Amino acid sequence: MSAAATETETLLESPGGSPLRRIAWHWRHNPKRELWGAWFTIIAFYNVFTVVFFIMTHTQPPPKPWLDAHGVVRWFDGYHNALLIGFGVMFVLTGMTVAQNALIAYSMRRMSVHPGFGYAYLVLYSLAGVPGSLLLCIVLTVGAMRPDRDPALMSWLYDFAFLSYVGTMGVFLVGSLVWMTAILLDKNNVFPKWFGYLNLCNALTEVVVSPAWIFHRGVFAWNGLIAWWIDMVVFGVYTGAFISLLRNMIQREDFGTGPLPELVPNKPNKPDKPGKAKRGPDSPSTMGAAR
Amino acid sequence: MTTSSVKEAEAGKAVPFVPGQPDMWFFALFETLVFTAYFVVYMFARMQHHEAFLQSQAKLSLSIGTFNTLVLLVSSWSMARCVKEARVGAYRSALTNAFLTASFGVVFLGSKIYEWVREIRLGYGFASDEFFSYYFFLTGIHALHLLIGFVVLGVVVHQLRSPERRSQNLVETGAVYWHTVDFLWVLVFSLLYVVR
Repeated sequence: MSAAATETETLLESPGGSPLRRIAWHWRHNPKRELWGAWFTIIAFYNVFTVVFFIMTHTQPPPKPWLDAHGVVRWFDGYHNALLIGFGVMFVLTGMTVAQNALIAYSMRRMSVHPGFGYAYLVLYSLAGVPGSLLLCIVLTVGAMRPDRDPALMSWLYDFAFLSYVGTMGVFLVGSLVWMTAILLDKNNVFPKWFGYLNLCNALTEVVVSPAWIFHRGVFAWNGLIAWWIDMVVFGVYTGAFISLLRNMIQREDFGTGPLPELVPNKPNKPDKPGKAKRGPDSPSTMGAAR
Repeated sequence: MTTSSVKEAEAGKAVPFVPGQPDMWFFALFETLVFTAYFVVYMFARMQHHEAFLQSQAKLSLSIGTFNTLVLLVSSWSMARCVKEARVGAYRSALTNAFLTASFGVVFLGSKIYEWVREIRLGYGFASDEFFSYYFFLTGIHALHLLIGFVVLGVVVHQLRSPERRSQNLVETGAVYWHTVDFLWVLVFSLLYVVR
């Protein structure tokens, strides 16, 4: 640990007992409850997203872009119920992405950079939610709800849904660059610089996906090895990294304005207090530091 | 430098040294892995349609590709000189080398655009031929890295210009980025122009 590390020693310690009792205690006393609430909402959202998009509706990885009109009608028919139930869930829960945008904007407000970075990110990613999720859900639900329409129209809906979902990456690109710039300029060490550069890697994948507008099949099509699979691996690494780093940021948060303190390493259990370890500033059972 | 490494240096032990931010080396490694994935996909497609790829590859100008490579290698040399001069405090010379690097970058980009226009005029566009799809994609994504390199060089120049700033660490970080772009081009050049 660096010499500048500040020890935000545990000020609050939750009582033992059932998980429900501890959650209730944190709800009342933990000064970071809003931050943890937002972080757990992100975890819940990505779990729901994975189940709906990858398992229920099979819209990720995207289906074949080269289907003819009758093939598209058959596709809508095959996933009729899954589309209605899955996207019904998404219509209710898409708002959970707000928690992610808010927490990331909060991370930028905690940095030494101008507040405009956080607000710019918030606006950009709020806009990004429309082509990045909602349009696909709405358009495919329309297709599933109107199976008697002309196959040519169904084919148009299919193209519209997947091209709008995969191909409209401009807002994501600029949003990633805003976050990257904030991290690289920050002097409060909220995030490591390598994550700033990882934002650039993620932004570049948003360019790589653009040939999906031109190609109907092959590696550059919307389900292609380059346009989708490799990009998805990068996005997976990026998402895993930022979820982990946001957790780390909340643990280190001291509600001050200067450099974010380093985490205090976990201390081993004391023999006289079995099961009640003294922990870092805020592992889930002991989170502290006064506002 | 961390406290432990300072102690090691004082004790006369060899201290592990990475030029620039280690974070930029992470970027270089990550982007190299991503490009490696693109190369694997390209090589697989090439194995599937070997003859067609050879015929299309013959339409490329090896002399332009070689010129591109030489220009970028020289730009890396001037970037290395920039770092070397900055290390000994010769900031005026370091600045000159940074501008030289940018100039070679502009020459590379100009010759690349000339080559793209030439191929398109010959009837080989992005979607007209499988080999040329890869060609335009790989050279295009590399050119995008080069454009970002101009921003990085701007940061290096900004650092070198004022005595209040002059972070050697940032100058070397910029150099790592530029060398990565050069390194990736050598791989792109080998695969697209040379390998038969």
